[in-house]
Amino acid sequence: MVPDGTAPRESLARERFERPGFVRLTASDRPGVAQPVPERDIPPQPWRRIVFGAFAVFLLLLAAWEGYWRDFGATPGYRNSNGAWAEQRRRIDAGEGGGTVLVGSSRVLFDVQLAQWQAIAGERPIQLALEGTSPVPVLEDLAADPNFTGRLLVGVAPELFFSGFAYRGEAIAHYHRQGPSQRSGHWLSKRLLEPYFAFYDPDFALPTVLLRQDWPLRPGLRQDMPVRKLMEMGPDRDTHIWGKVETDPDYRALTRRVWLHRLQGPPPPMLDTPAKLQKVVATQIDRATKAVATLRARGVRVVFVRPPSTGAYYAFERKVLPRAATWDVLLQRTGLPGIHFEDYPQLQGYELPEWSHLTRADAKRYTVALTPLAMREFERQERAATATTTAAR
Amino acid sequence: MVFNSLTFVVFFACVLVLHRLPLGWTTKKINLLIASYLFYAAWNPPFVVLLWVSTVVDWWAAKKLVNAQKPASRHAWMLLSVVVNLGMLGYFKYGGFLTANFAALLASLGVAWQPPKLDIVLPVGISFYTFATLSYTLDIYLRRAKPANNALDYALFVTFFPHLVAGPIMRPTELVPQFAQPRRASGEQLYFGLALMTLGLFQKVVLADGFLGPAAEDVYSPMAGAPGALDAWMGTLAFSGQIFCDFAGYSTTAIGAAMCLGFAMPDNFRFPYAAVGFSDFWRRWHITLSAWLRDYLYIPLGGNRHGAARTYFALLATMLLGGLWHGASWTFVVWGGLHGLYLAVERALRTRFAGYAPGPLAVFGLGLLTYALVNITWVFFRAEGFGQAWTVLRGMFGGNPGAAPILHTAQLTTVALIVTGIVIAHWLMRRRTLEAMLAQRHPVPLAACMGVMAFAVAATQGSGNAFIYFQF
Repeated sequence: MVPDGTAPRESLARERFERPGFVRLTASDRPGVAQPVPERDIPPQPWRRIVFGAFAVFLLLLAAWEGYWRDFGATPGYRNSNGAWAEQRRRIDAGEGGGTVLVGSSRVLFDVQLAQWQAIAGERPIQLALEGTSPVPVLEDLAADPNFTGRLLVGVAPELFFSGFAYRGEAIAHYHRQGPSQRSGHWLSKRLLEPYFAFYDPDFALPTVLLRQDWPLRPGLRQDMPVRKLMEMGPDRDTHIWGKVETDPDYRALTRRVWLHRLQGPPPPMLDTPAKLQKVVATQIDRATKAVATLRARGVRVVFVRPPSTGAYYAFERKVLPRAATWDVLLQRTGLPGIHFEDYPQLQGYELPEWSHLTRADAKRYTVALTPLAMREFERQERAATATTTAAR
Repeated sequence: MVFNSLTFVVFFACVLVLHRLPLGWTTKKINLLIASYLFYAAWNPPFVVLLWVSTVVDWWAAKKLVNAQKPASRHAWMLLSVVVNLGMLGYFKYGGFLTANFAALLASLGVAWQPPKLDIVLPVGISFYTFATLSYTLDIYLRRAKPANNALDYALFVTFFPHLVAGPIMRPTELVPQFAQPRRASGEQLYFGLALMTLGLFQKVVLADGFLGPAAEDVYSPMAGAPGALDAWMGTLAFSGQIFCDFAGYSTTAIGAAMCLGFAMPDNFRFPYAAVGFSDFWRRWHITLSAWLRDYLYIPLGGNRHGAARTYFALLATMLLGGLWHGASWTFVVWGGLHGLYLAVERALRTRFAGYAPGPLAVFGLGLLTYALVNITWVFFRAEGFGQAWTVLRGMFGGNPGAAPILHTAQLTTVALIVTGIVIAHWLMRRRTLEAMLAQRHPVPLAACMGVMAFAVAATQGSGNAFIYFQF
């Protein structure tokens, strides 16, 4: 029976679900007995139409979201995920351990172009640099891997290398514990989503976008300016600076403000006195020295590279982490050669839109200039190793 | 694999298609069994062996138990099941904890002993499936249930992927009978199951991982300083929302996934933040665990049938062990102990004021008090150790004056909005079911909500974070 004036759907709902005091029984209502097969109610609704309607809404919103980001200047690209890093790292296990590996921070990631390197050196290096991250943990990881016997270019961005800061440090752990599910997830993402969707970038994630709007500043709390999207990545982590940083003056100004905010802010608590800073720098050099010694004992050829920086970033590095107290000590302690951009005219004079990374065109030119220098150092170490072996015989 | 992953999307689509093909029922069950093993092996393939051990031991123990003539023999087969299951759980989950505490005990007695570095990897979901298989043997031992008719049905009960790694903790009597007859989801079940999965993933990916988790992490980070009152409360409230959305989101997704295949799974949550009192809270939070502990621990310990002292002992012992079930750490024991204490005090008050019937305002006040006290316990659940727990608690009660602010306005606002929304929703739903509410809505806003939730899941781009309860 349907009461007068009540729609059938509502009536059915009341009858089935709104008996006074009624809540579906659960195991908590039946102590000390064998629990029966659960009952699951299906609310009387046109669920097929609802699901298809929801799918239409989902597609419309997603299309609008994708359009918004494309209009912003984004294009589909590959995610700089831990899975992508692990995929490249596994190339060493899969027989490419005798090749060239690039480690470092974002400067090696953005500035060293794999195609140009390959054209000159005859092999495409494995790109393992991680943005915002000291390469020292990666050095230690490679030192512990007997499969790696090749050539190693180590990028030195002073602020990261000598502080040990590791924004992406979990990538190494991810590589070691990555299960089949995570590997297949990365495989699917790389083939089904990343090449087609511009919005599918961590920088455009909904919470990230909402939380970095212009919210009122809480008294006593320093305004946080997280780093914005700066790069575009290829399938094997070949990376260059995002075109918007080069071509959009407002966006370039924003990226500079982010750096200034970081450079002019108070140092983190573990680096807030000269003594603490010196201790941290010494620790990082010690760690690097040990890792490099292990690598060299296995025959790995290693070269340090200090990519260029300009403007406020360069001024900060010279002031807080001067070359004599960091780079020179590193080379002296490890006994290794280094390629510092200050020492080579061909590594100078490039355009760095936000003071830290080269434009895409200049990254190509820089790689063309850098590769022969690095190759020369690798070959010199190989000749020295051969000479030592011959002398020992 | 986790529900919030691309791998699961593809896996589940394949399982759905296979399950709807015109194949024999036994073939479909074998398909589900193989799929469930794949689901588990996707984390760490060797650990499938543990599932097999648990399955085989309990299958044979129950079989022998039923045929045993002597009580001692029945008892022995039951004990075998208990020892093997708890032995596996003890080794993998508590091995390091026990040796570390043993070493500390020896050190307090002046004996220096360095425990060997065990480096044990915790098999995901081991606490859940060992409890599920234990309930099979125990129900048969207690003569509450009969053994499964065939090994395939039993193995599928243990392994069925929707409940395998994080519950709801199913009893054999809830699931095994569902395998007796061919099951295929009706159109309504399939579509409503998809709606539930969307809701569950929205809770997990958007609310728990996207907004609440990072705020809780900022306050509970070892790098964060001592929080002031606002940060300590907001960080803890964020965690209260995060753990609910994470775990209830998992349960809802699991129930939806099972429904898409034509199976029914029990409720695991019933709007717990609308609980008035702690016995009410435990009838609403992780229902299948609290009911399991009640049936197989609290009642065997004496329950409430042997006088007040024995009741309080059983209550506290059950909650302390329930706390330890969550993790091999003394902070979890304190979390469980606090809940045991709350339950004991509530019991004493109910006895003392047996005739008291609170009015609506008092009910609301008592509900808020319950929620506040639950949040105190979450501090121990979330903190890395007692040091951090005390620091946060001190902050919550104004004991860190002059503390530097931690959370940004954006975080404070989103946490306040989401947590308030959760609590209000729980209060509005406290005497109803989700289905009752959905039945009364117009289809158009339902479709719009579901579409928006699905979009939010995609736009949040969850990074496949594991569910919190996987570690338990």
